[in-house]
Amino acid sequence: MKIFHKITLLAGLGFILSGCTTSPTFLRPASSIAQHEANLYNNLLIMALVVFVLVEAVLVWILIRDRKKRGDDDRPPTQIYANTKLEITWTVIPVLLTGALFAMTFQTMKNVAVPAASAKDINVHVIGHQWWWEFDYPDLGFKTANELHIPVGATVQVTLDSMDVIHSFWVPQLSGKTDAVPGQTNHMWLTSNQTGVFIGQCAEFCGTEHAMMRIEVVVDSQDDFNAWVSNQQKPAAQPQTADELAGYKDFSGVCASCHSLNPAEPENKVGPNLAHLFSRSTFAGATYPLTEENLRNWLHDTQSMKPGNDMKLTLSPDEINHIYAYLKLLK
Amino acid sequence: MTVQAQNSSRIQGAAQRGFLSWVMTVDHKRIGIMYLLSAALFFLVGGLEALLMRIQLAQPESKFLTPDMYNQIFTMHGTTMIFLAVMPLAAGFGNYLIPLMIGARDMVYPKLNALSYWTFLFGGLFMYSSFFFGGAPNDGWFSYAPLTEKLYSPSHGMDFWIMGILLLGFATTIGSINFIVTIIQLRAPGMTLTRLPLFVWTMFVTSFLAVFSLPSLTTAVLLLFLDRELGAHFYNVAQGGSALLWQHLFWFFGHPEVYILILPAMGIVSEVIPVFSGKPLFGYKAVVFSAIGIGFLGFTVWAHHMFATGMPSTTLLFFAADSFLIGVPTGVKIFAWLATMWKGKLRFETPMLFSIGFVALFLIGGLDGIHLAVVPVDWQITDTYYVVAHIHYVLFGGAIFGILSGVYYWFPKMSGRRLDEGLGKWHFWLMFIGMNLVFMPMHILGIEGMPRRIYTYGAGRGWEIWNFIETIGAIIIAAGMLVFIVNFFVSLRKEATNKSDPWDANTLEWKTASPPPAYNFEEIPVVRGLRPLWDEKHPELADWKAAE
Repeated sequence: MKIFHKITLLAGLGFILSGCTTSPTFLRPASSIAQHEANLYNNLLIMALVVFVLVEAVLVWILIRDRKKRGDDDRPPTQIYANTKLEITWTVIPVLLTGALFAMTFQTMKNVAVPAASAKDINVHVIGHQWWWEFDYPDLGFKTANELHIPVGATVQVTLDSMDVIHSFWVPQLSGKTDAVPGQTNHMWLTSNQTGVFIGQCAEFCGTEHAMMRIEVVVDSQDDFNAWVSNQQKPAAQPQTADELAGYKDFSGVCASCHSLNPAEPENKVGPNLAHLFSRSTFAGATYPLTEENLRNWLHDTQSMKPGNDMKLTLSPDEINHIYAYLKLLK
Repeated sequence: MTVQAQNSSRIQGAAQRGFLSWVMTVDHKRIGIMYLLSAALFFLVGGLEALLMRIQLAQPESKFLTPDMYNQIFTMHGTTMIFLAVMPLAAGFGNYLIPLMIGARDMVYPKLNALSYWTFLFGGLFMYSSFFFGGAPNDGWFSYAPLTEKLYSPSHGMDFWIMGILLLGFATTIGSINFIVTIIQLRAPGMTLTRLPLFVWTMFVTSFLAVFSLPSLTTAVLLLFLDRELGAHFYNVAQGGSALLWQHLFWFFGHPEVYILILPAMGIVSEVIPVFSGKPLFGYKAVVFSAIGIGFLGFTVWAHHMFATGMPSTTLLFFAADSFLIGVPTGVKIFAWLATMWKGKLRFETPMLFSIGFVALFLIGGLDGIHLAVVPVDWQITDTYYVVAHIHYVLFGGAIFGILSGVYYWFPKMSGRRLDEGLGKWHFWLMFIGMNLVFMPMHILGIEGMPRRIYTYGAGRGWEIWNFIETIGAIIIAAGMLVFIVNFFVSLRKEATNKSDPWDANTLEWKTASPPPAYNFEEIPVVRGLRPLWDEKHPELADWKAAE
């Protein structure tokens, strides 16, 4: 078994080194869930590679050895019709392998099953929208979007719903995917054994901007998480300067029908909650870094950055200036 | 017999040349050729769509296609390859070959056969006409509800898709019934079920799969149509419908469909490998039973497409176990092909190359498929490029390579000429190298977290290099297909040799002229074994003697 693990490691390493090390592969797991899934994958890969090499080697060997050679006579080769023993062998061996696969599947499913809920758990309600993710922390009393924060080591109980079509929540280094199905609440769980930012995205085709429905999970230390939570619970910042006040007015007229500034907004809005927009590092479905330039471009023309999204508006340069001035307060 | 006599007299009475003679024909061979040519054109269109996708994905954040265009193109690529290319290509071979292989003069219902072809053709053209009427379908070839509801897909693309699927399903259903009855009723004297050529067997099983699985698809799309156009709520959750109902109905069809696509190719390979090895198919009965076994099991595994939808773990385990079991009959087939080649005298002409390619590549599609049946691993790799890699090793390395093997193998029967060998080898190697360059890296992309069906991706996720290599592979495949097109026309312009048996083959279609006369056989042959032509050519080694 030791040698197996070495080969496993090599095979896993091969995949990681093959690409850029920033790829969100579950073969670089950051949770016990992904770790179990990666181990199972690697074991399967070894089994598959053994079968692959054996069968292809026999095939190539036959092709070289049994090719019709120049100068061969035209007499047909020995006519072999069947061989019952051989046929039983190559039927029974795969059946046994099937049993092994089943046992491995069963064991891993047990290992990654959602743990029973406990009072210490963090509860998150994940809601899929075309084309962004809403994260509701019901016990902590606020909502945010696209960037999920969890404390390292915690058990995070996730309930999944969808506001429109089927989506699928997937952050490979933390866990396999679970669909967000309208009309059906699904459950999954998350945990992480290291701090850091882990990316993922919607995995079920959900319409025009399926490609820009991405996810960032920020795994914080417990202190950072607590600080983040208390910030998210605060009400949105108040406008002070003339520009900010003008921006707030424009926001109320243009943006507020879809975007809430109340972190505890009870209503299901069409767009992400913006109460603490600038506490996030990305926007537009975790697609663009949240920089001044990007956000101004977005306010100018959302459709060139995320064609087909529901935000279709035309703002004057003044309105953009004002709204931007207000938005950047929303830390 | 009287049915056959009537049919052949009708065929002889019809015009023999010119455009109208093809439009009016009920001759199974002409219908078969029309099926093959139409499906080949759709295949080329589907291939161009694939090429467009590969150009778009060659680099991150590409603006070559808009998301709307990309989504229409990937939907039509899948729909085309499955419903308009691979299925009708198999139907074309079935039409052309089944009567010849079983020693009959035509299909049992020649007019129904013509209806089946024309419905298929118009169904395909109808679907494609959507590009000119406000946009093609854009929700993927399995069109998950509720995305397909009018609220989320307001263009008429989905309506074209629904209507097209209904027409194509109708064509396939009557075609399949025709195959089944023909195989049961019109076998030549002595052609018992245990002497039926493997290709006929696989078409027999395929036809049953189609007849039993298509009603589920028909139901699914009809309900969707009622939802979209008449305000019903079958998939509309807000009004009490179910989002997952579609998936169950669709995959109850969709998984047998995979075997509808691959079994005929397995049949072709099972014809070609024995001929080019100079041996009978090893374990004929086991191979037949494995095809039947795959057919039955194919109906019990549909929910393995739905492991991430939140099913209880008992259900997950049941469908996982069932899916593993399919590996057993599949293994039987692969071992049987290897054993057939074992100690043969292998000739590597182009049909054999494509059949060997099938065995080598289909094996990969079988092994990576097992990963997808293992539930916890599936949770990671489903809906990623890993799945795209898997289906293409099965349907491109498998079905298409098998079909191309059949094209090279039976082209001399249909046209009286062989396709050029040199160009054929170029074609094979370009396809073989190209397909591995496109689809092997897709495994890695799936592992590295790239979902399928995204029109663009961000830089710096480690996905660029593999996507770029894949695009190069796609161009190599396109070059291979260009070589094939050249080969096709160049070879057709060569003088016909009209050899009845150019490959030294085994089955009845090679007993008659190339191309065969409208009535196929001057005299209905009498069959004594699995390889009637072999028995004739090697009386001392006849199969029926070995059986005694």
